[in-house]
Parts: sequence; structure tokens; C-alpha cells
Amino acid sequence: MLFAAVGASAQDDLLELLGPVETPDAFVAATFKDTRIINGQSNETPAGGVLHFVIAHRFGQISDGAYALWGLDNASMRMGFDYGITDRLSIGVARNTFQKTYEANLKARLLRQSNTVPLSITGFSSIACNGLRWPEPDRVNYFSSRLSYVHQLVIARKFNSNMSLALTPSVVHHNLVATPADAHDEYLIGAGGRYKLSQRVSVNGEYFLRLNPGEAYNNSLSLGVDIETGGHVFQLHVTNSQGMFERAFLTETAGRWLDGNIYFGFNLSRVFTVSDR
Amino acid sequence: MNAFFTLTLAAAGLLASTQARAQQFMTRSAHVDFFSSTPAEDISAVTEQASAVLDLASQNIAFQVPIISFHFEKALMEEHFNENYLESEKFPSATFTGKVSGLNPDAAVGLEQPVTATGTLSIHGVDVERTVEGTAVRTAAGWNLEARFDVPTEDHNIPIPKLVRSKIAESISVTLQAELSPR
Repeated sequence: MLFAAVGASAQDDLLELLGPVETPDAFVAATFKDTRIINGQSNETPAGGVLHFVIAHRFGQISDGAYALWGLDNASMRMGFDYGITDRLSIGVARNTFQKTYEANLKARLLRQSNTVPLSITGFSSIACNGLRWPEPDRVNYFSSRLSYVHQLVIARKFNSNMSLALTPSVVHHNLVATPADAHDEYLIGAGGRYKLSQRVSVNGEYFLRLNPGEAYNNSLSLGVDIETGGHVFQLHVTNSQGMFERAFLTETAGRWLDGNIYFGFNLSRVFTVSDR
Repeated sequence: MNAFFTLTLAAAGLLASTQARAQQFMTRSAHVDFFSSTPAEDISAVTEQASAVLDLASQNIAFQVPIISFHFEKALMEEHFNENYLESEKFPSATFTGKVSGLNPDAAVGLEQPVTATGTLSIHGVDVERTVEGTAVRTAAGWNLEARFDVPTEDHNIPIPKLVRSKIAESISVTLQAELSPR
């Protein structure tokens, strides 16, 4: 008995000899399940050699009622492809039903949370091109008028395996604005987070506060659930933003939660490993 | 006289401690890989960052494997392994502590000895008493240890959801190779 106790403690001493687990090169994984928290970007990018395909639907206003099946009759779509050139850099293209908008974007992990680094910082830049026919074809229309730009920094921290939060300072530049009173540059600060309910399900929320808001629109507020099933992530959400690309939900959110102008939608993402790591 | 006695004692102590040290062999770059094979998918992962220590006098042995150091072919598998299955933030390492039997410390260099290690395998925070067969080979400087064993996921409270059960084997085949040198 005594011998056994001594033996066991000698083995534990041996384990202690090996010291604490040291993996200095390990970055914190899966701060968020997907590259987006809901509408807005998370700090995540597709891994190197991985194609990330996302198909997103946004339905009509829930306040449309039973006649329009609470908005489900009016679906708009976003189809996006993002490719990880390396584990830290990705490029993407997308097409939106909303204003027939084309997008191209670049996303880079500038800083990654690890044992020694307390947070992750990811830069995101996108250019969007309105694809609608000119409403007034007779006047002189410049191609540049179709374009708008968004630049964001996603500053994120995974506090523990369940909770992650992100702050997202953002700037949106419109080449063409509706009236001379509207600002070409709009500044916003976003806050988002997730809390995991189980290994494969989390609840998410995000809010974007416009710092120099125009009259017409509202701040974007979204609540959602992430469900992970193998290679897919389903994100179900309700939001007062109809557009699914940055400029649209950051600066053109028309709905008001209090009036029931909210939209149900989902993102469905799938990853394909295209080339070896 | 007194000074001489102290010196002798110190020398004897030093000798004893060097001898104790020479009885211990270790590495911080042991190889561990595992393999899950199903008709739907083969999954494998490997690390070269496992630690191992063997105390020849007591024949005690310990392994420590950082879970996050396992590398998979697909990044998403690695993420799921750490996040959903092994929960590496809660349980950062897998360990084995036990006793080796059948090891002859004075064996000829290069002779392969079948050995058995009996002890506690701790994975995902769940301890299981195991007896693992392997081989030990004395090298010029130290010892090479090799073992292959199966780990049923159920034993370590690692549930596999129904949806992916066709892709992940119920029992995972683990191989380890450690080249130990004197400590």
C-alpha cells in the first residue's frame, strides 16, 4: 500500500519533470465559427488553400404578416466565394441581389491571439459596385459613381472557449451620395460577440453605431444562432438590415426593430480544401 | 579532518546525484500520430512535440502530448479536433504515467526488447488504466521507445455526433516513437 503510494508519486514527479505544456507557436483557434459574426466580419479568414463558399438569404420584413408568410415570399440573396491564399490572407468575390451589387474584398489577419498576444486584429477592405442600370441614362454617368468602399478593423478576443467579443471600427466611402448634405465618408463602431451554448451551437449578436449618421437610416442590430455540422456552418438570424454586404448594412439599414421592420435570414457556409496546406 | 570529511561527503553526494541523473532519459520531440479509418473518410494527425521521460532505476515512465500541437491535413479538422472533441483549452495535454516491465537496462545496444507499460492514460481529462505493449531499444546515447495502441473515444468521454459517426472511427489507432537521451 505504502509502496504503491510512493510509486504513484514518483510517476507524478516524473510528469512534473516534463513541465507545463509548451506550445508557443499555437494561435487561438475558432474565436468565431465563421468569417462573419452575423452580417459583419469576424476576425476569422479561410485557412490557406481553403475555398469558403457562403450562400446567404435575407427574406422580407416580418411585419409583412401572414399574407407574405412573414417575409419569406421576398427573398434576396448573396453568393460569395472567399479563398485563403495563406492562413492569414484571403480574397473574395460576391454578388448580391440587393442593387445587383458585385463585391471584391481582401481580408488579412494582422495580429493573432496566442499565449503571449491578448487579442486578434484582422483588417478587411472591400469594394462594391452597384450593378443596376442607370436610372437616368440621358445624363452623363460615370462608372466611378457605382463604386463604394469599406475599410474595417476587427479587434477580437476569445475570452474563454465559450465567449468571444469583437470591436469593429469602420469607415464607408461613397463615391456618389444622394444629396449634397450626405457625407461621402461615414464612420462607425461595431460591437459583436458570441456565446457558445454547446460544442456546436452558439448565440451571436452585433450592433453598429454610426458616428456621423445621415437622417434617413438606422443603426444595424442583429441577433442570431450559429449551428455547426461538420463542414457546414448555418447562421440563422433576425436583423433590421436588408442588405448583406458591408456598405448596405452599415449605412443603409432602413428597418426599425420597434416597428417590426426586421428580416429573417440565414448564411450557409461550406469549406472546400482546394490545395494542400 | 573535519574538512576532509565534509569534502568526501560532498563528493559522494555529487556522485550519487550524477548517477541518478544518468538514470533518467528524456525527449521533448517525440513523435505521436493517430489514425481514424472508416469507409467514408481516413483522418490522421501528427505531432513531433510530445515529451517523454524514463527513469531507469525505478522503471517509471511518463509521456505528455500537447493536444494543440497535432496537425491535420485539413484546417477545419484541426479546429474541430481542438474545439469540439478534445477541448484543448480545457484539457491542454494528454498524458501517460506508469511503470515499464520487461526492460533490461543492461541490454546490448540495438537489441529490440518487447516491453509492457502499465499505468494511467489521461485524455480529455478522463483517466483510464491501461497496459500498453511496445518495444525498447538501447542506443549509443539513450533509449528508443515505440508503441502502438488503440484509444476508444467513448473511454475518454469524447462523444461523436450521429451526423459524423460514419466518418470518425470509434477507436483511434495511436502510434508513438520517442528517442530519449540522458537528462
